[in-house]
Amino acid sequence: MGIYPPPLENLIRQLTRLPGIGQKSAARIALYILGRDRELADELAKSLVEVKDRIRFCSTCYNLTDEDPCGVCADETRANGILCVVEGPGDQLALEESGCFRGRYHVLHGALSPLDGVGPEDLKIPGLLRRLGREKIHEVILASNPTAEGEATASYLARILGDKGVKVTRIALGVPMGGDLKYMDRMTLEHALNCRIPVRT
Amino acid sequence: MRSVISPAIILRIREFGESDLLVSFFAEDAGRLKGVAKGARRSRRRFPNCLDLFCLSRMEYVDRGKGDMLFLDSCRLINPFAGLRSDFSALSLGSYMVELTEILFPVGVGDRRMFALLRRAFEALDQGERGDRLRVIFEGRAMSLGGYGIGLECCSRCGRPYEGRGRAVFLRTRGAIGCLRCAKENAMTPSLDPPAMGALALIQSGDWKALRRMGLGPEVVSQIREVLKLHIAYRLGEKLKTTRYLE
Repeated sequence: MGIYPPPLENLIRQLTRLPGIGQKSAARIALYILGRDRELADELAKSLVEVKDRIRFCSTCYNLTDEDPCGVCADETRANGILCVVEGPGDQLALEESGCFRGRYHVLHGALSPLDGVGPEDLKIPGLLRRLGREKIHEVILASNPTAEGEATASYLARILGDKGVKVTRIALGVPMGGDLKYMDRMTLEHALNCRIPVRT
Repeated sequence: MRSVISPAIILRIREFGESDLLVSFFAEDAGRLKGVAKGARRSRRRFPNCLDLFCLSRMEYVDRGKGDMLFLDSCRLINPFAGLRSDFSALSLGSYMVELTEILFPVGVGDRRMFALLRRAFEALDQGERGDRLRVIFEGRAMSLGGYGIGLECCSRCGRPYEGRGRAVFLRTRGAIGCLRCAKENAMTPSLDPPAMGALALIQSGDWKALRRMGLGPEVVSQIREVLKLHIAYRLGEKLKTTRYLE
């Protein structure tokens, strides 16, 4: 038996099932919810149920959405023919917030990771291949993360897209804005030098 | 609290909280360890691109006596083994090597020879080597270092010494060879001819110079692979999760 009453223990147990939340954090969150007005608990419970009921994958880009197609896919002002492939909805959101890309997206929902049991069949790759012909795509930008898994995913996609008659590009890798060269590692500097661009004079 | 600095190969990473990483690594001195890298996902100075999968890094860590979880202070990249991320087959083989290492070496069991094997294997992958040759070398040596070397000296049934002539069969329940008088060759007791026996002995002892002199032809690799497949499945009692990506 725990030190708290069973309903509170149960809430703590449920919260510890969330990623990155341990026993202490779960107890802190549970006690906070308990100490606040009932309204917070009601809204929280309602939001949790609503998100499970209403959020689904966009049938075109596989991003999370409450209407199908999602806002980006339905937006007729966006550029057609150019597709940016990202690992997850968070990556798409970051690109969208930057406001510098006005094409279409495709969300893979992961990266190849044999150690975690994620292979090509677990990613939304068939949907990507279907879109190439249907949407007359002429360029695919591979924007997976520059991690071991993300790089392997990009090279896997580059290989299977190679014979589809589309231009395949990879986002540039190198020194980040605000970075400091003396703290950069060998691989980052190598990428930065390989991806150097001419400066307009 | 003593701070330790050691070369280490990153085996796994997992995001933890807002900006931390849980890192599993194989240190040269201390073997497989786990630690938390506070703020690693945001840090450009303490952990600059050095905590990615398979990287060889110079790790600085402290044991604060909280279970088997160490605190990682800082890290510097030595070799990213970029070739491992260049295609899915390399990523899969590297992942298989990591999984086998994790099974054979529990947390805290140090072995410099295993660290050296992992490093050499990753270097080979980085340089573009793929396929069964590298796989059997890694498997044979790793199993041997993990205490599951195949007995090659004599027939495990009658005790007759193997003198380097004629074929021998592999008996998985004994983890050793048998002579053709004691056992028949079939799918569950595959045979090894003298070159395969010699090559397997060199792999298990880690005599890379002699192995290079001898060469490792496709037929030899094929025979050793069949034996190691049965040996690993029997000794470890499970099929490794990553093997399905190697087929």
